[in-house]
Amino acid sequence: MMRFLARRFLWMVVIMFAISIITFFLMRTVPGGPFDREKPLPEATRKNLAEKYNLDASLPQQYLDYMGAIIVPRLTVEKLKPSSAENYLINIPLPFLGEETAFRWMNFGPTFTKRGRSVNDIFIENLPISFNLGIAALIVACAIGIPLGVISALRRNTAYDYFGMGVAILGVSVPVIISAPLLQYVVGVQMGILPVTWNPDKWGEFQNYLLPAFTLGFVNAALIARLTRASLLQVLNEDYIRTARAKGLPERKVITLHALKNSMIPVITILGPLLAALVTGTFVVETTFGIPGMGRYFVTSITARDYTVIMGTILLYALFLIICNMFVDLMYAWLDPRIRFD
Amino acid sequence: MQKFNRLMGLALVLVLVFAITIVGAQDKKVVITGIGMVGGDLPTIDPGLAETSGSIEVINQIFLGLTNQNFDSSSELGLASGFEVSEDGTVFTFTLMPDVAWVRYNPETDAVEQVVGADGNPRFVTAEDVVYGMLRSLNPDTASPYSYVLVPYIVGAAEYNAGEGAMEDVQVVAVDATTVQITAPDSTPFAAQIYGLWMARPVPSWVIEEFGDVWTEAENIATTGPFALKEWRHDESLTIVKNPFWAGTDSVPVPALDEVTFRFLDPAQAFAEYIAGNIDAINVPLEEIDRVRADATLSVENQTGGNPCTYYIGFDNLEGPTSNVHVRRALSLAIDRESIVTNIRKADLGPAGFFTYPGLNAAPQQADYPDFAIGFDVEAAKAELEMGLTELGISAEDLSSQLILAVNDSAGHVAVVTAIQQMWADNLGLNVVIEPRESTTYFSSLSDDAPTTYRAGWCQDYGDANNFLYDVFFSGSSQNDTGFFSEEFDALVVEARVTADTAARVELYAQAENILVNTQAAIAPISFYGLNLLVKPYIERAPSVTGNESYFDWDRS
Repeated sequence: MMRFLARRFLWMVVIMFAISIITFFLMRTVPGGPFDREKPLPEATRKNLAEKYNLDASLPQQYLDYMGAIIVPRLTVEKLKPSSAENYLINIPLPFLGEETAFRWMNFGPTFTKRGRSVNDIFIENLPISFNLGIAALIVACAIGIPLGVISALRRNTAYDYFGMGVAILGVSVPVIISAPLLQYVVGVQMGILPVTWNPDKWGEFQNYLLPAFTLGFVNAALIARLTRASLLQVLNEDYIRTARAKGLPERKVITLHALKNSMIPVITILGPLLAALVTGTFVVETTFGIPGMGRYFVTSITARDYTVIMGTILLYALFLIICNMFVDLMYAWLDPRIRFD
Repeated sequence: MQKFNRLMGLALVLVLVFAITIVGAQDKKVVITGIGMVGGDLPTIDPGLAETSGSIEVINQIFLGLTNQNFDSSSELGLASGFEVSEDGTVFTFTLMPDVAWVRYNPETDAVEQVVGADGNPRFVTAEDVVYGMLRSLNPDTASPYSYVLVPYIVGAAEYNAGEGAMEDVQVVAVDATTVQITAPDSTPFAAQIYGLWMARPVPSWVIEEFGDVWTEAENIATTGPFALKEWRHDESLTIVKNPFWAGTDSVPVPALDEVTFRFLDPAQAFAEYIAGNIDAINVPLEEIDRVRADATLSVENQTGGNPCTYYIGFDNLEGPTSNVHVRRALSLAIDRESIVTNIRKADLGPAGFFTYPGLNAAPQQADYPDFAIGFDVEAAKAELEMGLTELGISAEDLSSQLILAVNDSAGHVAVVTAIQQMWADNLGLNVVIEPRESTTYFSSLSDDAPTTYRAGWCQDYGDANNFLYDVFFSGSSQNDTGFFSEEFDALVVEARVTADTAARVELYAQAENILVNTQAAIAPISFYGLNLLVKPYIERAPSVTGNESYFDWDRS
């Protein structure tokens, strides 16, 4: 188990490096830069900006500078001047070494499009909101999807099944770009019982998350329901289920103890990447409900060529994805005793 | 039953909270606005760094300039109580209003308070602050994107901004605590307006020195304007409060509103919130214009006005078939601008026959110069096309295959160029391919190598025709993507730039327009932008001249 984790951790480092190199050089080959405008900036201004953001150095040098600022920790002895270019994610004060001495690590750099904002500001202020929304959406998805799938499978080809799968088809075929504004209009504008857009002054946190979490959760609930049904149906035909029944185990125990646990393997497999995608922010739902999360930055950073934000969001997503998949692998062993790590 | 009771209790609490919020809102005049805001955060509210209209709008409420743009697009006094111009028109001596306080919002007392200096006395805006603000924008280390507007109007600024000259050689000096003297390289009738633009405003040097580039956060900032910054929730909203220390002037009165909240929502979401009654004023999203005009309530709340921008089609004047003047004229004459404004760009003020926005100072009006303006004329277009094809020695099919119509990939712009493509097909028999490009790629490709025909637009930096004709199409301009060059045009705009008499300038600009859009047809102007707002009936909005709102002129009943 520990060897498995150690090996996965080493792989994670390698993969993160590979992703950083590919992303960095790929985004720099795309034509246009962060300072291209409808009103082009004069040459002198462009030169000033390139100097300020270290864009005049050679590409490999820029990559090394960027990664260096993230990886190499710093020990500062003086008070750090507030600046978007020197903003560290991890700041540990070391008072026994000096009053202002601190260990600082992981500077993801300043953003190009929002002056005075650093990528770490986005991580600290916007990520928690997306994270909460993602977790809430996942809970909605599982709470609706798994029971729906189980009932459909157990009551196969009955009205329950048709209803359950009807709901699932509806969820899969209506994208959030339709359902989000529709729910917003009906529940928010017409009925007025939930906020139209993010409004913490007027509504509590729960109300603000409710509609977006439901919208986001419902689409994924449909996916989970279909997967649960298919998987459970397959497991119910397995030999060991027949054995369990032949032993005289009550049907309830056969389903909950043996069938359901094993049938969750494909569901858990997609829940990993799904969780990573949901907690790092979703563009359409966040934009529609005016949620100050991270989702918008995944899209706008690319169109604006905001290099540091592109790198930051991609690395963050990659990290979440790798960690989630690692958890999925750990879950396999618990769900299916036949799976071993060595 | 118990559950029911608990629900009732909860409902009661909710009603009470709601009632308190309503009562609380009544004793304060608060406006929540989405005008000029787009989804996502404001890029900055630093006067030296601002470049989008949302940023500039907020800056206009919290930072004062020496002068302000007036309704006839001339300048009026802002922070300066008066100014004198030397006889040769190059030396400007501004006298500052006395006792304009630097203020900040204190969240603990919920009040705006004066900033106290190191000596324990309140800080007032001094000539040094004005000089600091201008020099900071010109400093190459600041990398101000709009310094180039200020650069040509101060001696020594160009060299300093390019990193070649010294700061001491920039001719903006504090003569005494309340007098600023600025020397311009030449005499232009609109320079006083330039000195009041956002990148030339006084900013608090001591705050910037202490807090670096995060000085604009609400907990750090110090401001001078009729409003002060209360709160900036990034990616969500920004709130400004009335500054009780602002005494008011004719042009910048004491605000009637106590608070204004800007919400950063996409147009569709802002519209939904407006309908739900949670936002007081918004821009009408393009796709909702028909609904607003047809709706009994919304059509009454709909306010329109001008927005000093021009939409146009640019031609590559240097290479390809569009280097032929007859081809360019044919393409321009074949565009039915009226139809585009009626059917697609519905919020616009009207079709454009000139490039210069008509509301600007010294701008020629189409009605006064009907022969100089370009318009829709199929017969003339066909004749020009014939001449063009003969001169180039190619067929209409060859020409079609050599032309592309480039556009940045946004639904609104693609709709316009699709209509133009159809007009060229119907009126000239040319089948031109539309080439949508991703926005940033598009803008960088325009300055590198302009496509044969492409969509473009230009908005004012300051309210003078010089900002359109000289700043964009003078042959040396970095904004001139067309490659258009005409000695006659250059001579006209250079002369108009330094002419004092407005009537004479209008005449010169009219002749320059005639060359730009008509005889040379370097571009095809399409339409003048409009402002299309929804404002709740209990709000008294003041009309805007710059396209930005002045909330210190607003009121609510």
